[in-house]
Amino acid sequence: MDTLSFLLEGFQTALQPHNLLFAFIGVLIGTAVGVLPGIGPMSGVALLIPVTASMTAGLSPEQAAASSIILLAGVYYGAMYGGSTTSILLNTPGESSSVVTTLDGYQMARQGRAGAALAIAAIGSFVAGIVSLIGLVLLAEPLSNVALKFGPAEYFSLMLLGLAAVSGLAGKSMTKAWIMTVFGLLLSTIGLDNVSGVARFTYNISYLYGGLEFLTVAVGLFALGEVFKSILHNEMNDGDIAKIGRILPTKSDLKESAGPIARGSLLGFFIGVLPGAGATLASFFSYILEKKISKHPEKFGQGTIAGVAAPESANNGASGGAMIPLLTLGIPGSGTTAILMGALIMYNVQPGPLLFDEHPAVAWGLIASMFIGNVMLLILNMPLVKLFAKIIQTPTKYLLPLIIAISIFGVYAVQVTTFDVFLLLAFGLLGYWLAEHDYPLAPLVLGLVLGPMIENNMRRALTASNGDYLVFVEKPISLVLLVIALLWIAVPFFMKLRGKTVIVNEDM
Amino acid sequence: MNKTADRIAAVAFLALGALFMVESLRISKSAYGSAVGPNVFPFLLGLVLVFLSIKLLLETRRYSEATSEKQARQYKKFLVIFIAAIFYAGLLEMVGYVITTFLFLVIGFQTMEKGALWKSIALAASFSLGVYGLYVKLLQGTLPSWPIWFQ
Repeated sequence: MDTLSFLLEGFQTALQPHNLLFAFIGVLIGTAVGVLPGIGPMSGVALLIPVTASMTAGLSPEQAAASSIILLAGVYYGAMYGGSTTSILLNTPGESSSVVTTLDGYQMARQGRAGAALAIAAIGSFVAGIVSLIGLVLLAEPLSNVALKFGPAEYFSLMLLGLAAVSGLAGKSMTKAWIMTVFGLLLSTIGLDNVSGVARFTYNISYLYGGLEFLTVAVGLFALGEVFKSILHNEMNDGDIAKIGRILPTKSDLKESAGPIARGSLLGFFIGVLPGAGATLASFFSYILEKKISKHPEKFGQGTIAGVAAPESANNGASGGAMIPLLTLGIPGSGTTAILMGALIMYNVQPGPLLFDEHPAVAWGLIASMFIGNVMLLILNMPLVKLFAKIIQTPTKYLLPLIIAISIFGVYAVQVTTFDVFLLLAFGLLGYWLAEHDYPLAPLVLGLVLGPMIENNMRRALTASNGDYLVFVEKPISLVLLVIALLWIAVPFFMKLRGKTVIVNEDM
Repeated sequence: MNKTADRIAAVAFLALGALFMVESLRISKSAYGSAVGPNVFPFLLGLVLVFLSIKLLLETRRYSEATSEKQARQYKKFLVIFIAAIFYAGLLEMVGYVITTFLFLVIGFQTMEKGALWKSIALAASFSLGVYGLYVKLLQGTLPSWPIWFQ
């Protein structure tokens, strides 16, 4: 019953007028981010961190944290709803997690059933959102209670496992993913050392004493990196948008998609909980699953509604599931959740097992707001989908310079130094170059966010053991976590050696 | 995968890893009450980065050459906008937010596509004044407002 009363308190937070407004803005912008090709959830969330920081400036720290995270999470799961729109209408996925939706969604649009496809995508996303939230509510307490028993050695190993999982699945080359992870960890050591107060790698540049600001790096790498790519590759959005037609799905449509939605939601949720496997993999797997168990597998790719319902449910289920390791363990499983974690840390709210005890308003307020946000999204996406389809036609020539201006404004407003603006531009270039050559950016951000915690836990564990490095394998839980981490790297490696193709997350 | 690019990256990361290792030797080793000083973690990471770069360098030998598919890149457009952004950042505190943002946006819009100058000017003006009004007047935020020699 404890959980229920906490949840009710969460609703009290989430139902405050300003938080309702924040949730609404979040899901609205999220849907727009999902619809616009070229801006993914990662850059959308990164871009909005400074904007929310300035919007919540008048609130108390705890309230500000709750309101900001409500808005930012809204962008995250809102983007999952919006991503389907362009997949169906334009045959261009708005996000990588909606790539599979194009297969059947666009075919349906060509047959004049775009409205039904969009409606089923929205309904499936809604069901999956609610399913994953119920899972989150049920698992949050027990999981954080387990994690509370962890000491520094166990935490260190758990975080290594998180890094291994993300790096093992990110991008085409595991070596490159690991280089990015270590690069991120190294960047996190710049600045004053937390434990001893010694300045590291600062070279007497006063701006560096606080370390590289996470916000500057994330906005530069993701938002500016993508804008630079769009300019350089001359990515303009043209192409014909299919007519939407009748929006309400027929009874037979609903009947046909009930099963795929249920299976997609559950599968997506469990894949989302696993670190490293994100929404993209979830949508991919659920499509394969539906095709395998379907009585008419030949219909897939020809515009069957199950081929839209399953992946769209799965990617939303995964985005809800991904909140579990973030909130209960403090381990983000993907690039976007790493950015959400960075945002929480900016407000001095440390995600992890203590979050539910120390900041119940933030944790439960966020969960409750996700229920409300999903209802908002269903309403937004059913009748208003025609309006959102218009966003696709936003001219890129205005959009791209505006994103640069918003990035610069956001970083300057939070940091109030031009040093960070120059750093932002530099990371924009770096982000473009790295992404262009298949160096995944998500592990870099993950390393940057987890770096200080990994180092602190490592040093605390080693201090307790008088510098004996064996402490990490002597504690049983820590050993198990390390073995899993090792397997996570080794298994795909050996599968590749034996000539099997390994599915990887292209973008998280 | 691009062989040259990856070789450049591997060498750069190798140098970076080595740099972090060397530089972490200069950090004080002791930390009161702690067995591990602030130098250990960056040193280990630098070492790992060096190993990974060598691995990447070895992997590039197995790349096939026939991957270079030259696509047209809009270098000129990009350079104009990027240099404009650098000037924007550099002049922000001196000339103030409204004017620099307005100029950057007009240049940006016109570089992306020539023509419709009045539309660009109107959009740039409403964005720069709008953000300034919302953020500074309404939310009491801090931005350098107008040129310093005006005040």
